[in-house]
Amino acid sequence: MPLVKTPKPTLAQKLKRFFMVDLLKGMGLTLKYNLGAITDKDAVAGKGIYTEQYPKVRPEVAPRFHGAPRLNMDPETHDTLCIACNLCAIACPEDCIDVIAMDVEIVVAGKPRRKKVLDEFIFDTSRCMFCALCQEACPTSCLELTQDFELATYSRAGFVWNREMLEQGRETVKYTS
Amino acid sequence: MLLLSPVNVLKDLLLKFFSADTTNYFIWPLIQIGLVVTLVALWVAYATYLERKISAFIQARLGPMRVGPWGLLQPIADGLKLLTKEDFIPEKADRWIFFFAPYIAVASAFIVFSVIPFGPDWAVIADVNIGLLLVLAVSSVGVLALILAGWSSNSKYALLGGLRSSAQMVSYEVAMGLSLIGALMFSRTLSLSGIVTAQGSDSIWYVLYQPAGFLIFLVSGIAENNRAPFDLPEAESELVAGFHTEYSGMRWSLFFMAEYAAMVVVTAVATTVYLGGWYFPFVNRLVGVNYNLYVLVCVLVFLVKASIILYVYFWLRWTLPRFRYDQLMDIGWKWLIPSALINIVLTGFAVFLVQALNGWRGIRTIEALDNGLNLTATGKGVMIAIGIVGVFITGVLLARINWRSRDFNLKTQRRNIKLINLPKGKPARAA
Repeated sequence: MPLVKTPKPTLAQKLKRFFMVDLLKGMGLTLKYNLGAITDKDAVAGKGIYTEQYPKVRPEVAPRFHGAPRLNMDPETHDTLCIACNLCAIACPEDCIDVIAMDVEIVVAGKPRRKKVLDEFIFDTSRCMFCALCQEACPTSCLELTQDFELATYSRAGFVWNREMLEQGRETVKYTS
Repeated sequence: MLLLSPVNVLKDLLLKFFSADTTNYFIWPLIQIGLVVTLVALWVAYATYLERKISAFIQARLGPMRVGPWGLLQPIADGLKLLTKEDFIPEKADRWIFFFAPYIAVASAFIVFSVIPFGPDWAVIADVNIGLLLVLAVSSVGVLALILAGWSSNSKYALLGGLRSSAQMVSYEVAMGLSLIGALMFSRTLSLSGIVTAQGSDSIWYVLYQPAGFLIFLVSGIAENNRAPFDLPEAESELVAGFHTEYSGMRWSLFFMAEYAAMVVVTAVATTVYLGGWYFPFVNRLVGVNYNLYVLVCVLVFLVKASIILYVYFWLRWTLPRFRYDQLMDIGWKWLIPSALINIVLTGFAVFLVQALNGWRGIRTIEALDNGLNLTATGKGVMIAIGIVGVFITGVLLARINWRSRDFNLKTQRRNIKLINLPKGKPARAA
């Protein structure tokens, strides 16, 4: 007899071990999952399948998510809303925004005046931490951090967005199937 | 009907060019071998696909979905990828052995298919009268490939994996061979086609006579193929990848193919011996309708039965955790081999009982003896009852014998250290 006492199994426990009830239970569980996955009608992100078919089905990001930046335009005239006030660049804690303005001569009420307009807008997404302080600072709701999250590029230079990219959006391959 | 005639057309065509002997013994087998190798390679490829799919379903995923509809072209993409990968050889490896080990593994797995009866008549390549013996002998050559691969890689992980798998396969080989003997007492032949026809003429599956044998065969088959829960040789957390740690590219995929082919072999043998092979109730009625259709239906029945066992293999793999090595050897030597021996004794006793009962007080148990042991309804009842009771007898007997056998090594150690009946408040000390 071993000197260490172990609790003796009861008859029910013995029978359970003999008929391998626990093994059968486990097999039943996996079979349940398997059948659930097969009978799942809406096989893409249905109730039997928990994974997301990413390029095919796009995930819904949280409402407070901040992603790719965008410069909004006037929906009617398609002029930029940016007034080149440089507030976003000042607000940016990472110093990743460069607003390059230029002066243009315009005539207001018959008198020649000079007006500061936006020439180029540089936004370095590699340094951006998506705090959206620039969005807060913008007086014309021009600069906005959208919900787009696909920001990967093949080079470091690709992370620096210019005005055209910010206004039109970056060209990316959209997988549909 | 026209679709099924090509077999006859081909036969007539061949007979125009060659003599009947050449056709029957040379050209026809070559055609069969080509067909079987192609189909089995496809089957093996899609077994990997099924494995991935079923594992995904069990884990509430979808598995491969991108290549082709429902990822159906995934095995082909995998094969192409592996072909283009670098075939790396370790610096101090034994080059020739390293080269040849994968071929031995694949060959030993594929040769077995030459005797597997996929169906009657032209659906079997060679009906050898020692078929079952050949299956066991050739499939055990696969162990050699693993040892050679592990040894020649010049890597400690590969060597340990190779040694583990060889020890495991050798010990489970015994239980596997012994578990088949019970079924052979009924079929009275080693030919695999003969076993199927014996079950057909007895109109029963041997799994009913031999539930214990079937279970032992299944478990030892899993262990023999180094599959989970007995995949000790490939235990990732301990041995990286076991014997094929140093293999890459096509050579690695050959080992992979060999593993799946061996699995298909075990399912095919289990189907043939225990589940009646291609035999299915009422399938004989098709002979009169169209002979080729009959053969095709038989092949289909065989494949369905084998696939069900294959599914059980996948199912078990994704349900059970891996065994410890001592538990593995425990199950092999303390449970499976003794129960296989008990099964032989019980089956022998049952066969003797049935023969003794025949003719006693007008009871008839044996119908015929020329095509295996064919029993009457009474005989079948006796045999099935003994089979089911035998499982319990074996279980209870071995449970009594193996009671606390695992503590065996610990007993002497524990003798020296008293851990109970100590006076309170004093530290434990060796006596």
